[in-house]
Amino acid sequence: MRRKVLSVMLSLSMAAGLMASVPMTAAADEEVQEITWMFWDDLDASEDNITKGFKEVIDRFNEDYDGVYHVTPITTTLEEYYTQLNALVDADQTPDVFIVSPGPNLTDYVAPGVVAPLDEYLEEDGWKETFSSDAVFAQQTYDGEIYAIPLNIAAACVFYNKEIFEEAGVEVPETYDELLEVCEQIKEAGYTPITISAGTAWCLSMLAGYLCDREGVDLAAINAGEESWNNEKTVAAGEKLLELSQYFQETAAGDSNDDATAALYFEEAAILIQGSWAIGQMNGANPDFEEKCGVFQFPAIEGGNDPNRVIAKSDSLAMSSSTESPEACIALMKYFTDDEAQRYTAEVGGKIPVTKVEYDASVAPAQLADVMDIFENATGTFGFYNESLVSSDAGAEFDNHMVAIFQQEETPEEAFQAVEDWYVENGYR
Amino acid sequence: MDKLLRNKKAIFVFVAPALILFTAVLFIPIGTSFYYALCDYDKVTRSYSFIGFGNFINLAKDKDMFIALKNSLFFLVFSCVSQLIMGLLLAALLTNIKVGRNLFKNVIYLPCVLSSAALGLLWAFLFHAKVGINNLLANFGIQGPAWLYSTSGFITLPMWVIAFVSLWQYVGQSMMLYMAQISGINKTLYEASYIDGATKMQAFRYITLPLVKPMIGTAMSLNAIGSLKFFDLIYSMLGDKTENLKMDVLATFLYRTGFSSKGGNHYGKASAIGVILVALCLLATAIINKLFKTENYEM
Repeated sequence: MRRKVLSVMLSLSMAAGLMASVPMTAAADEEVQEITWMFWDDLDASEDNITKGFKEVIDRFNEDYDGVYHVTPITTTLEEYYTQLNALVDADQTPDVFIVSPGPNLTDYVAPGVVAPLDEYLEEDGWKETFSSDAVFAQQTYDGEIYAIPLNIAAACVFYNKEIFEEAGVEVPETYDELLEVCEQIKEAGYTPITISAGTAWCLSMLAGYLCDREGVDLAAINAGEESWNNEKTVAAGEKLLELSQYFQETAAGDSNDDATAALYFEEAAILIQGSWAIGQMNGANPDFEEKCGVFQFPAIEGGNDPNRVIAKSDSLAMSSSTESPEACIALMKYFTDDEAQRYTAEVGGKIPVTKVEYDASVAPAQLADVMDIFENATGTFGFYNESLVSSDAGAEFDNHMVAIFQQEETPEEAFQAVEDWYVENGYR
Repeated sequence: MDKLLRNKKAIFVFVAPALILFTAVLFIPIGTSFYYALCDYDKVTRSYSFIGFGNFINLAKDKDMFIALKNSLFFLVFSCVSQLIMGLLLAALLTNIKVGRNLFKNVIYLPCVLSSAALGLLWAFLFHAKVGINNLLANFGIQGPAWLYSTSGFITLPMWVIAFVSLWQYVGQSMMLYMAQISGINKTLYEASYIDGATKMQAFRYITLPLVKPMIGTAMSLNAIGSLKFFDLIYSMLGDKTENLKMDVLATFLYRTGFSSKGGNHYGKASAIGVILVALCLLATAIINKLFKTENYEM
């Protein structure tokens, strides 16, 4: 009898508990609009200052919109990012808001209608007016419609260790030939002249892109089929890539981007060719390096192209076309571009803000002023080569053949001919 | 019980849950991947179109496929041979020692139950260019080799390194299988052979080996299938560098083709690689079964 009473009481309490929880959940669902935001770094573990800034934005958003909107971050590593994003898209579980690189990567989501146009939201409340100019949307615009919101602009530059330069008795090089001389003298001084990652192919590909541009390669003509990839200028760029590779660290083939960057801020190597997004990473990991780090424009090639062109890249946010809470998504995007976030971007993250925000240059990373100088004096910008080709697959093909040149598995002629062959085989000729 | 087993409805009811589950998570996906292997996936429209054997023809011309196939076959041969020798050797040794048998058995088997991802990171750290073993060698003025990024040679150094790590991880499994078989051999056979003047080596050669032969087939089949679909250790040690380091095996090539950020999303082609992988697994198992087909002896 006692057991029966106990079991009835327990059953009743369980049923009551279940009933009590149902309306609470339902009420909570009605009130709070849940969204997801996908990003390519770990918000809690990363030492990158830009990532830390993004975490602050997410926390601020969730706090300010408590009970109204709530965003849950989905984070991965950079290497795994598009793999996991594509898996979610194909499973019809596209994150409501996600970060994406402009160019073919964004095109992969715009073309099948995975992401929504944002023009109507940008026009509301004067949001678009807060951006520094309409030009910041150039890479995110398709057929006159804007599909992603830029968060910052980074320029690819040459970072160097001032102390090592001084010790080796060298000055900032302005031409490619001077760069070779500087590398030779740094090598003689006992340091690794250039640290770069060939293990992370886009790093090497970025250098190849600069060399191609400085040589005067007409990428638009190549993409349009008016020129072949295998031409005098690309081959000359490939030969210079090979020539420079004698000054890379011995472990360049296997080093990741993080390994290569660490070699600069741990003062093992003198030069790193990298985007200004690395400022946050370098200063975050070794604050003492900030004052030793100088920045210069990638050197000119005599008789080549305009030497004041800069590789520029922005992180952008796209909104899923299938989101059930576009208001929450837009509210989140606005947090990423508000004054507080943009000021942080410049003052702590070391990237160029996309809005008209005023920031205190004296507290910004020392390298940002140099990057801003380079950017302001630039006569034009161009994208990463692997993000400026006819498709993301073409970009991967370009990257791989640049690595093959570095590994001396292909001559520059063979490598660029292989890229050309890929264009032919895939119907781009 | 007999009455129950004659009741077809009851049998169906008992079998149905497992059958439904297997159909949903195994048979249907396998069937659809065979179909997708005959299709091309369009990234732009995110849709499939039937192209017949187009993916297989493209793979036959793809040099990355050749590299992946070569590396997978290397793993297959290395794994089967090394695990046979090491597994048998360890099993024979451990069966014959009296002190510390369980300790050694557990220590050798331990890596089998650990996560390959965690072990991969651990070994990647040990074979890192600047830390781990190379750092140790540097203390003695020796420049360590490019354990995980050398690209020279038909079979590259990283491939050998990962093959040895894999041997270290899985040899315990082979050893356990052989030990189970060896401990089932009747001791009187050995005693009779020793009375006839046989040495320990001769007893191993003429008694242990023939009686372990059926298990060699089973263990080798497991090794062959495991090495052909080998993925986790390579991926956790090399990440997305497999392509540029010429370190792809069939499973990493499949993953890269299907899902990678770099030139991925070719689900049709990835499915075709999957079909080839399944075919190779079946072929390897059939060959091993043929080679190690034995009579069952009374032990």
